[in-house]
Amino acid sequence: MAKVSFRNVWKKYGTTPAVKDLNIECPDGSFLSILGPSGCGKSSTMRMVAGLEHITAGQILFDEKPINTLAPKDRDVAMVFENYALYPHKSVFENMANPLKLRGQDATVIKDRVMAAAKLLEISQLLERRPQELSGGQKQRVAIGRAIVREPNLFLFDEPIAHLDAKLRAHMRGEIKHLQRTLGTTMIYVTHDQLEAMSMADTIAVMHEGELQQLGTPREVYNKPVNAWVAGFVGEPAMNFVDVGLQDKDGKTYFIHPNFSIAVTDQQQHIIAAAARVNALRMGVRPDAMSISLVKPKHECITGKIFVTELLGGDMIIDVDLDDGSRIRVKTSTDFDGVEGQTCYMTVNRDKWHAFSKENGKALF
Amino acid sequence: MAGKSSSSLELFRVRHIPDSVESRPVSMVAAEPKSVNPAASKRYYFLLMAPAILVLAFISIYPFFWMIYMSLHEVDIGKAEWNNFANFTRLLDDTRFLSGWWLLFQYSLMCLTLQLIIGVFLAVALNGSRFEKVLVTTLLMPMMMAPLVAGMVWYFLYNGTFGWYHWLLQSVGILGPKSLLASSSTAMIGIVLVDVWQWTPLITLITLAGLKRVPQDQLEANMVDGASPLRNFLSVTLPNLYPVLLIAIMLRFMDNFRFIDSALVLTGGGPGNATKILPIYLFEVSFKFFKLGRGAAIALILLIVTIILGMLLVRIFDRQQPSKV
Amino acid sequence: MASRDVVRYETPLSTAFKWLSAIFIAIYVVWTVLPIFIMFMSSFKDLLEAFKLPAVGDWGGIMVFFDFTPTTKHYYELFANLGFTTYLFNSLVAAGGSAVVSVVLGSLCAYSLSRIDFRGKSDLFFWIISTRMAPVVAVMVPLYWIFRELDLVGTLPGLILAYTTFNLPFAIWILKGFFDNVPYAIEEAQMVDGATRFQAFRAILPLVAPGIGAFIVLCILFAWNDYLFAAIIGSGGAKTLPAATRELVQPQNIQWGQIMAAGVVTTLPMMFLGLVIRKYLVTGLTMGAVKE
Repeated sequence: MAKVSFRNVWKKYGTTPAVKDLNIECPDGSFLSILGPSGCGKSSTMRMVAGLEHITAGQILFDEKPINTLAPKDRDVAMVFENYALYPHKSVFENMANPLKLRGQDATVIKDRVMAAAKLLEISQLLERRPQELSGGQKQRVAIGRAIVREPNLFLFDEPIAHLDAKLRAHMRGEIKHLQRTLGTTMIYVTHDQLEAMSMADTIAVMHEGELQQLGTPREVYNKPVNAWVAGFVGEPAMNFVDVGLQDKDGKTYFIHPNFSIAVTDQQQHIIAAAARVNALRMGVRPDAMSISLVKPKHECITGKIFVTELLGGDMIIDVDLDDGSRIRVKTSTDFDGVEGQTCYMTVNRDKWHAFSKENGKALF
Repeated sequence: MAGKSSSSLELFRVRHIPDSVESRPVSMVAAEPKSVNPAASKRYYFLLMAPAILVLAFISIYPFFWMIYMSLHEVDIGKAEWNNFANFTRLLDDTRFLSGWWLLFQYSLMCLTLQLIIGVFLAVALNGSRFEKVLVTTLLMPMMMAPLVAGMVWYFLYNGTFGWYHWLLQSVGILGPKSLLASSSTAMIGIVLVDVWQWTPLITLITLAGLKRVPQDQLEANMVDGASPLRNFLSVTLPNLYPVLLIAIMLRFMDNFRFIDSALVLTGGGPGNATKILPIYLFEVSFKFFKLGRGAAIALILLIVTIILGMLLVRIFDRQQPSKV
Repeated sequence: MASRDVVRYETPLSTAFKWLSAIFIAIYVVWTVLPIFIMFMSSFKDLLEAFKLPAVGDWGGIMVFFDFTPTTKHYYELFANLGFTTYLFNSLVAAGGSAVVSVVLGSLCAYSLSRIDFRGKSDLFFWIISTRMAPVVAVMVPLYWIFRELDLVGTLPGLILAYTTFNLPFAIWILKGFFDNVPYAIEEAQMVDGATRFQAFRAILPLVAPGIGAFIVLCILFAWNDYLFAAIIGSGGAKTLPAATRELVQPQNIQWGQIMAAGVVTTLPMMFLGLVIRKYLVTGLTMGAVKE
């Protein structure tokens, strides 16, 4: 088990940078998820840790020891690949035994460890089979089994459940998290699915275009996104963004928009005041930070016209058109009975809204 | 793959490892429904097939029956007489027939072993090299040459008085004044080398194609599991190469039975009978002595053995199904 | 995303391997090219110059190889006096004819085989492929007999037909793989749009045209390089280049300069064609079993 540190790590393919100046500290025993869309550099980052890519610049350290020049076999990491990468000509048992065999373990030790891992993953009955006889979920367990038969410094999971169907994915999320807690081994988990990162990780590193956007707990990333990009990437349905103007009236600051004019909280007013010379912002509100009603409330609210309503089982998503051509989505209960074209009124929970700079997308609050 | 008629020979074709991962177990994958062609239109397709099938029948089935007929007769120009299986019974104590098999076996084995070792090593060395493209193109040259021309050129090179390779071998001290082809103990090596020269590049090309298809993630997984590069080659690359190597072996094996052009000009089976591999003996019997009846008997046996070998290799191949994971 | 090559880490062993492979490749390239180079050079040498050789062990004497006055008289001799113009023509007709016959008939057959299923299809397949696997000498014994009865021995049609024994099964086998990769849906769409079946077939031809072209070339290559059929079936009236080259070997007087020149004439066009269809070469030479 080890603490993993990234110090100013760069990865370039030719002259194209894939990872730019990455700095992350991942404490011993913790679960770090690297989250980002495809092409953001997350896989390159993981492969540099595994030793499958050379590190262009900077250092990666395990327990303060640089590992840049070590071959994968000397790094003592275990990895689960996106396509499982099972050896087709070997049985499940041999697949799982491979890392132990390569490290020259006794046959009896190998057998015990593989059996124990198989039991943990509930695949004991599959040990004699070949990979091609297994279903996707079973292959994925074997791939995990191959990783956990020994006690590596570090687990690396590269989108291990991306190819499973939705139901199985939900199930495996829980299992992997439980596994990591049980074994207590440091884990780096790469995914493009924000739900996986949110539900499993202790720490999320959000990456975009090779750069680390935000490093924080799932709560921080969700509640306090550092910029509009992170705010938009994390959360489903995605956050609504509306361009607003600013206006001071009676000592209060208002967000001004053709459809509404709402005062910010005192604390938020200070932040805006501190940011020099802003007169326009991008407001961000998550669909669940608003309530919608067909009756105009007494307090300040957003007025809009229902575009479409979608029933999602327990919830409803209402798409609402605003006069400036933007469209926002609101989550509500299934009791809502508005129909398309009707005027509706949305109340915003002002503690949960966000404001981003229009120039660089940085969050003010 | 699914939905096609699958003879074991279908395995002859490339089965490639899919890029995406099949998330269902293979046994559950239902046959892809093939577009239904109404029975009436079958006649149309059979009509299109007919010319090729007829021509092929004329040049393969019809001669095959003739071969059987001829093998049972004493055949001479314009006449054929039944001779009570004498063509076959005489083969039993025909030492050149028996040694022909033995020499053919030796010849094939030597060619294959050398070609495989050199070819695979060359492919591994070339793979990913900066000059791969140029070098591979260079390697193609011998394969484009008519085997007869290759044989002639090498005959020239081996020549005891003016051959450059003979001079080289002599200068290095491997060979005395007698040319490689002139001595019955070395003549076989002479014809093997020509085959190796001409066809090792094919093994290299096939292996290179196979190497490109070794799944990178398996190599990487093995590296992370703790394998050294050599170990990685042995336990991941090589098993992934088996299917293509089997194809290569099969093709070369068949061709050693099929073609004798270069051996024919190099030694013509000599000195003595030292390189009289069976096809050369067959050629001699049939077209030098014009014993077409005996020739047909030998040809029939050679043909049957070749086809059985072909089937056998296809069967082995069958078991080596490259896997999809 | 990730790079395409597996990373390598420098170890003494891997460095040693790198050097070893470089040396090996260098030696191998020399060994491959040298015979062709010697053939080429010798075809421009006068008889005596071709026989010049340094003394055994005299490594410095290697340079005598380059010590000659180039002459094209062998080429002139071949075409002016030895009838190689005819042999070249015969080679072209025999190889080209059999290639065209094989690919035209073969593509119709392959297309149909790829589009329908019927009982015994796999047996038909095995028959087709085994025709191709059969040893040439063995096939030739009865074929020679039949062709003699039909007066086809020593004629170009006879030779074309003989080459078709290996080119037609090859064409069917390979082209079926090509047609298998063309979705039937394209033809269905054509037919829905009002095309007849044959028009639909013609509509997908452009998709397989590059492959068909390449395999015509490969069939030419196989036939062109054949010697056995040419020597027996073609003997007399349909002598091709390899057969004619072989006949330059006379017991008394081997004309090496002419033989080398004939070798160059036979080989160069095929090397050129090989380059043209480089992409399909491995597929063709492995009966479609390996694709690059």
